Amino acid sequence: MTKAIIFDASTLISFSMNGLIEEVKALKSIFKDGHFIITNEVKSEVIDRPIKIKRFELEALKIKSMLDKGILEMPSALGVKDSEIASKTNEILEIANKTFSGGDRDIKILHLGECACLALAGILNKKGIQNVIAVDERTTRMLVEKPENLKKLFQKKFHIKIFSDPKNFKFFKGFNIIRSTELAYVAYKKNLVRLKGEMVLDAMLYALKFKGCAISNEEIDEIKKLA
Amino acid sequence: MQEKENVLRIMEETKKAIAKGDIFAIKNLSNQTINTASLTQDPDNITVAVIVYSLSKILGRQDYHKLPDWEKFKIVFTSAVDGTIAGLKENNEKIVSDYLEKIRAAIDKLSGKLKIYIQDVFRKARINKASRIYEHGISMGQTAKLLGITQFELASYAGQTGIPDAPLGQTSNTKSRIKLAMDLFS
Repeated sequence: MTKAIIFDASTLISFSMNGLIEEVKALKSIFKDGHFIITNEVKSEVIDRPIKIKRFELEALKIKSMLDKGILEMPSALGVKDSEIASKTNEILEIANKTFSGGDRDIKILHLGECACLALAGILNKKGIQNVIAVDERTTRMLVEKPENLKKLFQKKFHIKIFSDPKNFKFFKGFNIIRSTELAYVAYKKNLVRLKGEMVLDAMLYALKFKGCAISNEEIDEIKKLA
Repeated sequence: MQEKENVLRIMEETKKAIAKGDIFAIKNLSNQTINTASLTQDPDNITVAVIVYSLSKILGRQDYHKLPDWEKFKIVFTSAVDGTIAGLKENNEKIVSDYLEKIRAAIDKLSGKLKIYIQDVFRKARINKASRIYEHGISMGQTAKLLGITQFELASYAGQTGIPDAPLGQTSNTKSRIKLAMDLFS
């Protein structure tokens, strides 16, 4: 059965900046009938734009090499057209950015790349292709898994009354989310990590957290207990 | 510009703090710009947040003040602060944008070490403000776009803050998420 992991920019960035690209490649090698997919929007965020900036050129090249070698694939590998994703992305962007409001204005919470991941996941769901989204940034995950927490966060930070549209919450149900840390756990359990030893899992999880993966210390402790 | 009154107050207080050399007050004022910038996502509001924060850093570095071009730069940013205040009072958004642009242009015209230092301060200020906006619940992609930075810059900065540990950010059972990942590879 075909399956896919849809990578958001945030997750690829966490892996790339920690020198864990080889582990991603190793994961792909055991992902039977599976595809690691990036959308055009994410490609732009992790390859096309940073490759022109000296500070991030190498990171972009590392990710590009995965695309060149077929470790990462574009949605066409699953028969999904870019135009279909673009259209769905705009729809999701519109809905996501009208879900919360405060101070008489809608709060724009998501950008194209994140919405494109959700769009592709929705399209794959309809096609009956099992999929998860790998997203390290916090807002998309909160919107999908606990939008009420996002509302609470806005109220806490903005110090104003926040309104939300609960019917939009339903729109974001049905997506499965993991992070780089869960993928690192799989790599560790499957003995795919190049470094060996008891400390490796802890070191990887914290390294990913410090490069942007939104995971708490408490969650890291729980993951380590499961290992 | 949105939330004009708030921005005007911040700029006026920034002007007073600059005159007094009160760096702490300027930094505090820059923090006050974040709520407005996160909510409105208005480019001028965001620029004000970055500029006020940068000024707190630049004015706090006494060694910069001895470098060639410092006096020239000081005149530019002082007049830009005055001009922005005047523009806000007159409800002239174009003047506000123009003055904010003048600060950017003035930095480009600097030479030597001062140019490098100040460009670096502004770059770091953009990353710092992006991290604060992300902390407010705006996504990494949206925040990076607003501040004109890459997600690489934002991710590595935000990862070293307390953002990932905010209790509201914990949205699912750890065991279930691990199971989901393991099942995919079984």
